[in-house]
Amino acid sequence: MNHTDPVTLEIYRNLFISVAEEMGVTLGRTAYSPNIKERRDFSCACFLDEGSMVAQAAHIPVHLGAMPASVRAVLEAFGAWAPGDLVVLNDPYLGGTHLPDITMVSPVFVDDLDSPSFFVASRAHHADVGGMAPGSMPLATEIYQEGLIIPPVKLVEQGQTNRAVLDIILRNVRTPVERQGDLAAQMAAHRVGEKRLQTIVARYGLEEALHYAHALLKYAERLTRTAIAQIPPGVYHFIDEMDDDGISQQASLPAGTETGPQIRVAVTVQGEEMTVDFAGSSAAVAGPLNAVRAITESATWYVVRCLAGPDVPVNSGTFAPVHVIVPHASLLDSDPPHAVAGGNVETSQRVVDAVLGALAGALPNRIPAASLGTMNNLTVGGYDSGRKAPFAYYETVGGGAGAGPEGAGLSGVHVHMTNTRNTPVEAVEYAYPLRVRRYALRTGSGGSGQHRGGNGLVRDIEFLCPAKVTILSERRRTAPYGLQGGRPAKAGRNVLVRKGQAQDLPGKVELDVEPGDILSLRTPGGGGWGEPSS
Amino acid sequence: MLLGIDVGGTFTDFVLLEDAGRVRIHKLLTSARDPSLAILSGIDDLKAGPGTTVVHGATVATNALLERRGARTALVTTRGFGDVLEVGRQTRPDLYALHPTRPAPLVPAELRFEVPERVDNQGAILVSLDAGTTDPTVHALLNQQVESVAVCLLFSFLNPTHEQLVLERIQALGGDRAPFVSLSSEVLPEYREYERASTTVINAYVAPLTHRYLANLEAGLEGRRLRIMQSNGGIISAGAARALAARTALSGPAGGVVGAFELARRAGFPRAITFDMGGTSTDVSLCPGFVQQTTEGSIAGLPLGLPIIDIHTVGAGGGSIARLDPGGALRVGPESAGSDPGPVCYGRKEATEITVTDANLVLGRLDATHFLGGRMALDPERTQVRMQDLARRLSLPLEAAAWGIVRVANSNMERAIRTISIERGFDPREFTLVAFGGAGPLHACELAAALRIPRVLIPPHPGVLSALGMVLADVVKDYSQTVMLRAEAAAGDDLERQFAPLYQRARADLEAEGFSPEQSTLLPSLDMRYVGQSYELGVTTPDGALGKIQQYVAGFHQAHRRRFTYANEAEAVEIVNVRLKATGHTAKPRFTRQSLGGLDPKAAFIGYRPVYFAESDAAAARPIPTALYERERLAPGNMVVGPAVIFQLDTTSVIPPGWAAAMDAGENLVVENRSS
Repeated sequence: MNHTDPVTLEIYRNLFISVAEEMGVTLGRTAYSPNIKERRDFSCACFLDEGSMVAQAAHIPVHLGAMPASVRAVLEAFGAWAPGDLVVLNDPYLGGTHLPDITMVSPVFVDDLDSPSFFVASRAHHADVGGMAPGSMPLATEIYQEGLIIPPVKLVEQGQTNRAVLDIILRNVRTPVERQGDLAAQMAAHRVGEKRLQTIVARYGLEEALHYAHALLKYAERLTRTAIAQIPPGVYHFIDEMDDDGISQQASLPAGTETGPQIRVAVTVQGEEMTVDFAGSSAAVAGPLNAVRAITESATWYVVRCLAGPDVPVNSGTFAPVHVIVPHASLLDSDPPHAVAGGNVETSQRVVDAVLGALAGALPNRIPAASLGTMNNLTVGGYDSGRKAPFAYYETVGGGAGAGPEGAGLSGVHVHMTNTRNTPVEAVEYAYPLRVRRYALRTGSGGSGQHRGGNGLVRDIEFLCPAKVTILSERRRTAPYGLQGGRPAKAGRNVLVRKGQAQDLPGKVELDVEPGDILSLRTPGGGGWGEPSS
Repeated sequence: MLLGIDVGGTFTDFVLLEDAGRVRIHKLLTSARDPSLAILSGIDDLKAGPGTTVVHGATVATNALLERRGARTALVTTRGFGDVLEVGRQTRPDLYALHPTRPAPLVPAELRFEVPERVDNQGAILVSLDAGTTDPTVHALLNQQVESVAVCLLFSFLNPTHEQLVLERIQALGGDRAPFVSLSSEVLPEYREYERASTTVINAYVAPLTHRYLANLEAGLEGRRLRIMQSNGGIISAGAARALAARTALSGPAGGVVGAFELARRAGFPRAITFDMGGTSTDVSLCPGFVQQTTEGSIAGLPLGLPIIDIHTVGAGGGSIARLDPGGALRVGPESAGSDPGPVCYGRKEATEITVTDANLVLGRLDATHFLGGRMALDPERTQVRMQDLARRLSLPLEAAAWGIVRVANSNMERAIRTISIERGFDPREFTLVAFGGAGPLHACELAAALRIPRVLIPPHPGVLSALGMVLADVVKDYSQTVMLRAEAAAGDDLERQFAPLYQRARADLEAEGFSPEQSTLLPSLDMRYVGQSYELGVTTPDGALGKIQQYVAGFHQAHRRRFTYANEAEAVEIVNVRLKATGHTAKPRFTRQSLGGLDPKAAFIGYRPVYFAESDAAAARPIPTALYERERLAPGNMVVGPAVIFQLDTTSVIPPGWAAAMDAGENLVVENRSS
């Protein structure tokens, strides 16, 4: 079969994406923890036998390039497959992103063949995988402190669960019942994906299904090439700088000092292809900001996908015309045993800012100014004396989106690599010994311009019990940039009010709080776009 | 007599159900500027006397929201939370938009006011509000000349005294010119402040318009009883609709689902998937023996927390435009030619883009002279020319291109039905597909085959199902209250105590609607979850009566296992909301049923014509000599064996090879797949 017809191509787009989406529905439906069920921090995808991704359900952009990386790592680790096998992993240095993201990969056999024709994969952010702090996102200096590391291992072999592997995982996490429920949910999603692919092959035949899987890759590649060809050829540079790594440069830097970890990027556009080279970016840092290569690739592909438009299916074809070059052992392609928890949530956002910043040189009338550039991760844990139980609260807080040629930026929103929901104020107060004193837009924090950047948020939380607080935030020192004459946004601030006295906190901090203390997270706005009228 | 009136964009549909069970249908062009003009002249045409109960699907609230033409509305919140509408859940609707956008809040920044008050999670007052601290805010909002005010204070569902104080002060200081006031503790007394505020603001935004519209219409009805369709599939008196206008915001598609489900149930198929394919979109809803509801609805991108019928919509309809995209795939929709310029075959000069309707015409499934009962002549020559143009770009023969458009449109709708059935644990093979809307019966059988749905039901008048649903609906009111109670703490008579105020209001409201206790059903349920989860499941007792907490806990574990494949009986369970559904059963005449005659449909036969069908869903279509029938002349008992096409005023039904349509005693076409 070598003819591709446009009708069948469109129908296969629907078929493959529905495999990934049905896996996602099963995972979201059967997961135990609110993090997966409510915040929807997971992704599902299906792959060809050689590791090309055919379809991914649109959940979390940061998983975009990271899913293929885990399948590649699994294919390298295992040569032989049997029906009913399933591999689990979370090792960031072997196909993972950060430890709470646990990935599963399993083969799909059809037509009584001896080797698998497809693979399916799922990834979910588990609420805790052990390590030195609840939530497994501490201010660590080594990956060993961040939690349990799972290299690619067969959790299930020919349908038989390897009890020893499961026991080791469950013994190393703080909430084993919840973990077991979430792992079971992922396994259920794999069974659904396998069955759906087998049904498609039974209905249309393997030859046609494989032909159109490849055709969809080429289709996505063509659309991506068309999009890149619209960008004026040239080499475009940008340098963005992060605040600090939370360990070695603990926020002692005065504003304007150019010594935070740097992301340097050169984007070369030549015809239908693009090379994104991060040469010159900082070496891996002591604190947990390091990104593995898959995250840097995901952030780059996210930008390409935004440019290419909504018609392009999410598959490996979109990656083909984009070459990502990352210096090894750097902030953006870290090496063991560096800590990586924040690479996924903070550095990924800054990679997007840098690549967009470079492309603004090529497409001044398309690219928006920088958005808040941080997820403002907050973890609060302790013992709730009223409810007589330990508690752990994790929240990420949105901020301002950058303004662009089309108009002002949105206020109080999550951007780029994340889109997780907030916890309602009334839900927070029902569940935790906390009282939210204010949750409002941070007026005036968006950069001015012809179009104004969106405003950040203020979330003021009063503690009703002693608690341990971890904040992992960025853009407290360096502000989100404006473009085409638009002004930068206001940087964020973390403030602790104790006995009426306000004190500024670093962007990354662990601290003990007392009842009556109020933590005020004031998140950055988005940059302005275009000269402000005077 | 019951008269259902559905005001659509083009037509106002009337269904009159006479006491003897006879159904009469009427259609008039919608009087866009004042819909009541067409309504009143339709009532005249049908000679519906003073004893008629008029049931109306009022679109005034829906249109006000879609077109942003509602009242100038202010919002009053607890100090520190005035931006609740703008922040929402801090998410964006499109992950990969370079410039993300969200619908603007209905209340702009300058109309958001805060009052210095605070209530805690037990309903205790932490910061007290009095007239002195309220009045400056009230003066400020009265100065803004607002027409309507929404009040949403934190934890007001536990302690509404501060919201009530704001209402009192607005009325006291506003006097005769006081704006409408909507309190969140009355509109939606449930936790999650954003969803509650959004729902309250939607109510405030549409209340003044709805009020004026209904008052005007009631005057024109000269004493006939007026009832209004709600988004939950039930009806209420016009007075109750005025009191809570947001209840009608999504009533449009609700009538269609109720009508389709009721017809299927009466025909003996209570497990139904309703399939309403119109010009620009398709609505599907799964009814597993009853009409399902959700409290996670939205309108115009804004959340609405009131119970509504659970309907899934996709952008695929008869007017969906087919195009070859730059990557070389055939896309169909979501762009639509709508009714202006419409499909190419409608003959408008500006219409150049091929649609699903055009493809059906090329394939012989539509007839140029039988469209809309012959009222509108289609233009097959023009359609051929345009289709040829698209086919050339697709490198396909003409009919293969047209068949491709139908296949792609079907695959989009197949995904929608998979979403509401298989993905939620229902097997489509156990359901009947009820096809309506102008284009539903054209596509239903092939869609059913792909999903292995064994049976399609095509109602006698698929174009007026929404108006029919209105005359078949019961009076339904929903009550709820967040209680946030651990199950183990709800022993003894706690549940009775929590439900008591709901029962009291429900009984009073049903009595006011004219129902005796014998004509009413009260169905209590609990929204429950495991402690720590943030997603609730509704649980009732097996007999529907208010039971003991142990019954609900057992029911919850069972429901959780069914829906999520597991349960954890050692885990603590909490009650989030208590709910009460109050139904007043309306008197519904039975439809007249015909006696079944012979099988032979020859009285309705009008000729043969080649029509394109495929032997399997992957195969190219080829022309098969196909029998054509007129629906009006088919009689109960007749059996039409596919391939066949059946024409009628408001739709065209395609019966593929291997399927056969029997007309039942209620004049439905029951189409079954004989090859499976």
